[in-house]
Amino acid sequence: MGVYILKRVGSIIPILLLAILLLTAMIHLSPVDPAEAYLSAAHIQPTEEVLAQKRAEFGLDQSFLTQYVTTVARLARFDFGTSYVSGKPVLDEVLLRLPATLQLAMTSLFLAIIVSIPLGFLAGIRKNGFFDHLSRVIAFIGASIPSFWLGYLLIFFFAVQLDLLPVGGIGSPSHVILPAITLALPLIALYTRLLRTSVIETMREPYVQFARTRGIRETVILGKHVLRVAIPPMITGLGMNLGKLLTGTIIVETVFSWPGFGRYFIEAIFDRDMPIIQGYVFLAALLFIGSSLLVDLLQLAIDPRIARKGGNRR
Amino acid sequence: MNVSRRKKSIIQAVSILSITTLLFGCSNPNEGSDNKKNKDTLTMAWPRDIGEMNPHVYNPSQLFAQSMVYEPLVHYAEGGKLEPFLAKSWDISKDGKTYTFTLRDDVKFSDGSTFDATIVKKNFDAVLKNKALHSWLGFISKIEKTEAVDKQTFRMTLSEAYYPTIQELAVVRPVRFLGEAGFPKNGDTSKGVEQEVGTGPWVLDEYKADQYATFKVNKNYWGPKPKVKKIKVDIIPDAESRVLAFEKGDIDLIFGEGAISVDAYNQLKATKSYKTTMSEPVATRLLIMNTKKKQLADERVRQALQYGFDKKTLVEGITSGLEAPADFILPPNLPYTSKLNVEKRDFDVEKAKTLLDEAGWKLPDGKKVREKDGQPLQVEMMYDAAELVQKAMAETLQSEWANIGVDLKIVGVELPDQVQRFKDNKFDINMYSNFGAPYDPHTFVNIIGTDGFGFKEAISAYPNKDQLLKEMKDVLKTTDETKRQAMYAEILPSLQDQGALVPISYLKKMAIYQSDVTNFKFAANRDESPFAQIGIK
Repeated sequence: MGVYILKRVGSIIPILLLAILLLTAMIHLSPVDPAEAYLSAAHIQPTEEVLAQKRAEFGLDQSFLTQYVTTVARLARFDFGTSYVSGKPVLDEVLLRLPATLQLAMTSLFLAIIVSIPLGFLAGIRKNGFFDHLSRVIAFIGASIPSFWLGYLLIFFFAVQLDLLPVGGIGSPSHVILPAITLALPLIALYTRLLRTSVIETMREPYVQFARTRGIRETVILGKHVLRVAIPPMITGLGMNLGKLLTGTIIVETVFSWPGFGRYFIEAIFDRDMPIIQGYVFLAALLFIGSSLLVDLLQLAIDPRIARKGGNRR
Repeated sequence: MNVSRRKKSIIQAVSILSITTLLFGCSNPNEGSDNKKNKDTLTMAWPRDIGEMNPHVYNPSQLFAQSMVYEPLVHYAEGGKLEPFLAKSWDISKDGKTYTFTLRDDVKFSDGSTFDATIVKKNFDAVLKNKALHSWLGFISKIEKTEAVDKQTFRMTLSEAYYPTIQELAVVRPVRFLGEAGFPKNGDTSKGVEQEVGTGPWVLDEYKADQYATFKVNKNYWGPKPKVKKIKVDIIPDAESRVLAFEKGDIDLIFGEGAISVDAYNQLKATKSYKTTMSEPVATRLLIMNTKKKQLADERVRQALQYGFDKKTLVEGITSGLEAPADFILPPNLPYTSKLNVEKRDFDVEKAKTLLDEAGWKLPDGKKVREKDGQPLQVEMMYDAAELVQKAMAETLQSEWANIGVDLKIVGVELPDQVQRFKDNKFDINMYSNFGAPYDPHTFVNIIGTDGFGFKEAISAYPNKDQLLKEMKDVLKTTDETKRQAMYAEILPSLQDQGALVPISYLKKMAIYQSDVTNFKFAANRDESPFAQIGIK
């Protein structure tokens, strides 16, 4: 098992190195010179002298290899560099905005869990019943409406028409409701259907049928046998979507004026603020890899046979 | 029976949970609407964080906010008039190199410290520490010496005559004044300031990055005191969310260029519940035709393209009156740009066709695109894909020019990409808008005459190109006002008449505000804030 974990953790390094390689290549492949983009965003007509000065300041005058090695060395020390635009360390900019993003993402995750578990379970035990239909409608809406559009609809009804909630911003608990619902709906759609399928499959298992013939109460069967077995696949789904959830905040934060890092990332793209873009993509990659690793380890804890299987495969 | 009871209790639990969540959320329903009842505070929406309140830096600091706190020596007023401000008068030596400013003696910084020639010199010297960065502003790179002659007299000596100096002193950054307490120990403000001390009517009161900033009235302000006590700037990055916040009443004012979509503006205007206003033209939207391209090298083709579309319908149809059709390459409310004698080219399809025939581009039987020496008349136009007006204009031109046998390919690119391709001369036709007040006309002629901005190459087929380039350099050095006017009257029409620079529309700023907001007036300077006179009923 220890070897399996070591191998799994070790595989992160080449993935991250590849991610950094792609990031460095991004600067070289982009037709736009970040130094020029910086100056034109500041309404400065760039002269060759200033451009050269800025390129040197940003380290853009170095070769591709030097830039790559420097970036790897920097990121290995968790030094994300300095933002071209604000001149402040990228890490400071991230840490200033990350709590807001985490608050939104965690609220959405919580909302997704408390809605999708009961709904998916009820939809599963009563196939084609009311909750099954409801879950289907939610899944349809959640999968088909783009987040920004859903966001506008929610703002229009709940903030403008009914005057119940704020249009955007951060501060009180009421501010988080609409963005959290917007972000959670696609997850609710996904998890509800996932749990529903899992419940239906488990109900067909011989041991459930056997429990029934033994005359065990239905509630006990559903609670002890079905739900306990049906939930683990959902945990895998949750873990896999953790990274997606954080990156999904980009649009929701913009629509709801939520001062998180996703929104800041959009501005960085327009400004071609490469250190910010690199920092964000690097952290997102780390998060995706980290959450997938976490899921694997969780599954390993539940079913140690995985390590053996994994070992055999290798 | 048991199952059904359990099911009921689950449903109950879920319902209670949902209701609790909603109630919890609604416990503070008017959190975002606090401002609308406060008559002393004007709340406006802005797409980006105001950035650092430092008069000597650029991005991400927002120009309007810098102009609230820091003031210039010279004020850019309506019609391009340059009026005394922190300098009550100035004297320019005969050779146009020495500028002597007499400063006002009643100006104090927001911390009570005195504004005098010493602090003016200190600010200029801080700016000159980063000369290269600021050299886009022509006079900065020409400054040889700055002197505080006495308390009220500041003198600046240039290496050569440069007439736009006074005009450039009116810009928002980097030539406005920070108080002594704001300077870091090493005097280099480019890395940050200690305190945001200015002479302007406002001081920064509260600030939360990416959320909001409030400005309160500067108690030591030397000029007329503002009518409202506070200006709150809510940062709302999304244009549609800005409209929704405004409709809810959280926001009193939205203003700017393209601050909200044309549709949203007209929709809000149509409700008649709000007040709307448009500024004077702040810049011109232009088509730049690259005369280095074979098809566009012939003046007759460039003219045919101008006759080949209905400008009035195009501009009014696409911008619903938010922009006005333009007859001149620079708005006539800028200095030296009025009463220019240019040839107007109104919509005339027949004339366009004749000109193309004369240029040798004939329409073969059964074909829709003209040809010359077996080559089809194809041109490409690039536009900023993020700007809907540019996209709609490009599409309309595509169909208009198809009628005269021209195949227009349109390419939407990102703004930095557009700038880069323009500079690299990798375009046939580009959509562009000039700088406007207080930068033009001198910045415009300066970049046309300078290598590496795309313009110089674009006009390379003009027969009088060399003469024009020389005049564009000379006009900036002219000390004689009459001569300068005469030179502009020759340069600008010549640039326009030969058809590489085609005026399309005048860009304007829009403002929409709640009906209790009074005295809203745009500043003549494109970058300044309009809060001087504003009030709330």
